[in-house]
Amino acid sequence: MKCAMTCDEFEAVGLDAERDASLADAERAAAAAHAASCARCAALRDSWEATRMELRSLARTTALDTPARVEMRLRQQFRTQYHAPKVRRTAIAAAWALAAAAVLVGAVSWVNWRSSQHRVANNIPANSGAASANQQSPGQNTGIDPQTLVADNELGDFTLLPGVLPADTDDAAILRVRMQRGALGTLGLPVNEDRAGEWIQVDLLVGNDGLPQAVRLPE
Amino acid sequence: MSIADQERDDVLLRRAGKGDEEAFTLLYRRHQAALYRFALRMSGNTWAAEEIVQDVFMTLMRDPKKYDAARGTLGGFLYGVTRNRILKHLERLPREVPLEEKNEDGAGPGIVLQDASTPAIQAEKRERAEQVWAAVLDLPADFRDAVVLCELEERSYEEAAQMIGCPIGTIRSRLHRGRALLMARLEMLRDAPRRAGVPWPAGVAK
Repeated sequence: MKCAMTCDEFEAVGLDAERDASLADAERAAAAAHAASCARCAALRDSWEATRMELRSLARTTALDTPARVEMRLRQQFRTQYHAPKVRRTAIAAAWALAAAAVLVGAVSWVNWRSSQHRVANNIPANSGAASANQQSPGQNTGIDPQTLVADNELGDFTLLPGVLPADTDDAAILRVRMQRGALGTLGLPVNEDRAGEWIQVDLLVGNDGLPQAVRLPE
Repeated sequence: MSIADQERDDVLLRRAGKGDEEAFTLLYRRHQAALYRFALRMSGNTWAAEEIVQDVFMTLMRDPKKYDAARGTLGGFLYGVTRNRILKHLERLPREVPLEEKNEDGAGPGIVLQDASTPAIQAEKRERAEQVWAAVLDLPADFRDAVVLCELEERSYEEAAQMIGCPIGTIRSRLHRGRALLMARLEMLRDAPRRAGVPWPAGVAK
């Protein structure tokens, strides 16, 4: 029988014909036919099959996994690559926030210092601004000039509060405050209920113990 | 997204690129063994194979965008990177095989005999495995590439061609040459037992 495949072709293509999926069925059949008729190529095929068995055996004996230390090193590197920048970014943000806070505190301190210097230069009491601000709303409602909160030092026209003896007022200080008329009731004075919500200025004679001793209505 | 989708290579790689360590670890565990075997069978050196696999995954970690899903599977991409690293390693050290390195059972590096046969049979198998591996390592790099992929890794011709980046005809040709050299080498070794005291595999291969 005449073979369709030569020995050279068999060696190049036919030796592994069964595995080579790119070969046509006719080529595989030709390779098988050639091996059946050619003793040299049949011996070559057998030799290759024996070698292949040994290669398979080698493949089984070298079927190993990468040592565990490689995974450990890679994971460590992964953490360094992805987590360290995050920590660094957080630290940088925190540093900027601290710097901004420091600048803010410095600016506020400077403004306060400048205000105090201004007050010293103009001889204005430190709490006058705050006092006038606090009292502005009721003052506006009643139409009273905030400057009138400065009391005079005359002790006349004071009415002693109930239970206070005249001798107790020797070392007292005069304090002018703005209050609702109803608050006079807490000092033990009679109050007209119809006018209890009215804002008034009151001079209080305050003793050394910090308690009011007498009251005067300037107007 | 289904569990299968979540565990796809490209999905895991995307997650790893965003700092998901678990996704990176899954990818590593999925591909490391095949790459390590390939590197070990190509280089014949456990230390080199370990370094190469580590280097490949470092590359993937640092620049995951190098992989383009449109051009093939991640496994194929990793094989390609591994192969390039191996070839560079072989160029730098054309024949780096540890002469003294042996396992506890006396086998060469990377060879593990897993059967329970008698010591004499084990010794014979070990010696034969060493001879076969020495013959594989003695092949020129291009032929060895094809033999390792198609015969040891049992990849198809198409897969091997894709990994190496050449036509199937080139794979067939390299296999043909590689087989011929391998058979000749093994025939010679069968007839010429190793001389005592000559370390494996340098004494065998030369």
